Amino acid sequence: MIILEDVEYSYDGIYTALRGVTLQVDRGESVAIMGTNGAGKTTLIKHFNGLLRPQAGNVFLEGKDTSQMSVAEMAKIVGLVFQNPDHQLFLESCKKEIAFGLKNLGFTQEEAEERCDQTLSRLGLEGFAERSPFALSGGERKRVALASVLATEPDVLALDEPTIGQDARQKESLARMLMEMNKKGRTVIVVTHDIEFVIEHFPRTIAMSDGQIVADGDTSSVLTHEEVLERCSLTLPQMTQAAKALRHRFDNVSDRLASLSDIESIATTLLEGA
Amino acid sequence: MSFLEIFQYTRQDSIIHRLDPRSKLFLTLVCAIISLLFLDIIPLLIIFASLLPLLAAAKSLRRWAKSMKGLLVLLVFIMVFNTLLSTGPYPFSYSVSLTLRLVALMTSFSLFFLTVHPDELSQALIQMRVRFEFAFAMSMAMRYVPTLGHEAYAIMDAQRSRGVELDKGNFVQRVRNIIPIIVPLIIVSIRRALSIAESMESRGFGASENRTYMERLQFRRRDWSLVIVSLGVLVTVLYLRFIVGLPDLFLWNIGF
Repeated sequence: MIILEDVEYSYDGIYTALRGVTLQVDRGESVAIMGTNGAGKTTLIKHFNGLLRPQAGNVFLEGKDTSQMSVAEMAKIVGLVFQNPDHQLFLESCKKEIAFGLKNLGFTQEEAEERCDQTLSRLGLEGFAERSPFALSGGERKRVALASVLATEPDVLALDEPTIGQDARQKESLARMLMEMNKKGRTVIVVTHDIEFVIEHFPRTIAMSDGQIVADGDTSSVLTHEEVLERCSLTLPQMTQAAKALRHRFDNVSDRLASLSDIESIATTLLEGA
Repeated sequence: MSFLEIFQYTRQDSIIHRLDPRSKLFLTLVCAIISLLFLDIIPLLIIFASLLPLLAAAKSLRRWAKSMKGLLVLLVFIMVFNTLLSTGPYPFSYSVSLTLRLVALMTSFSLFFLTVHPDELSQALIQMRVRFEFAFAMSMAMRYVPTLGHEAYAIMDAQRSRGVELDKGNFVQRVRNIIPIIVPLIIVSIRRALSIAESMESRGFGASENRTYMERLQFRRRDWSLVIVSLGVLVTVLYLRFIVGLPDLFLWNIGF
């Protein structure tokens, strides 16, 4: 469980990135954080593992005040994957790259090898084990970087823009893997601009703008709220646009529909009624 | 990385910022030469004291102080090692002057790099008949110092998130901890260099032999006065140092 209380953070005392953020993410939740560029999303998740310390307010992890915990301690609980994979890849093979984090966190050689193979195959990276991460394409490097943290199966997994550079199928397999981990009781937090990805897989959305949380709640209500969307520079999800179009003709269609299954069921009801 | 800030351009308006980069280069070189002429505490203190008003005129005293704080460890290190290893009669005195000289040298050069925009630097070099490609490379190098710093921080963050403890362990462990930082830094830099080269070529870099320039630097009266004053100071100091000789008072040392 992560709790933030009135967290404020500014870079060099000039640029204020977070102005009083309060939130609670319970164990086993899956949450999406959305917002404009510069809204403070990355700054926020850097507080989850202690890379940044609040200048005002508190961060609690599993009920403990984190001000006395080191990043290494917190990294055992919270796995963070950053946007740019090139900032973390440095070894000569993908396998070693994935094993590196596992060994840092105290896994034995055999455990590390086993987890390594598992993660590679689940992310569609079979056959990449012995290849150098530097010889891979951008999207592939991104998946190796993801794999290196996913393999450690941390209690909380926080990903910054994991879908960039991934094709539709890769996104699906990434989502499947995240949901699998979520079912095992892991907390999954993603920062993303990919609205359809959020709607299909994340029940809760936190919308941020200008260092503050503007909405926090049910994804289908947050992402269909036009004022929130405007402040976060997002557009209505495609399915909600479809729902709106249907609403012109049929009064009993809600304008809070966002996911494909919502539209499917309303379309079926309408067709059966006709 | 904060110590790099004294060599990093800051967008500001001051008398020093408005000077022609060539006259500033001359001033910097004169300051540097004078710092290298002396190895006694008193003259170096005088040089140092006369550099401070120049920094103040460039409105950069605070940045300078901040960087110096970052460098303090290195300066103390230099002092301790020189005191221990020097074979001269007054090792401590000698290492204090060495440190002062280093600070004076860095301050002289920071005066230039703090106040010259990378574009101005390349324009100055071009007008000093340096080939455009070379001048461009120089200003690019200058331009990417802060970017590299940011990148290093981002990499440290990424590795710490994977459980690397940068500030723990014995000396060997710490040195080994540099590898996960330095390798990505090099790779990222090479990748960026390649993509910059590609984007420059796709925008026609080097397409025509004779380039023309939107803005040309102008040597104004204030630049000439600065050059003349600096030259005057340099000649006077050279005269005092080599022909007249320094009075005993100036050769004072701490005594051990």
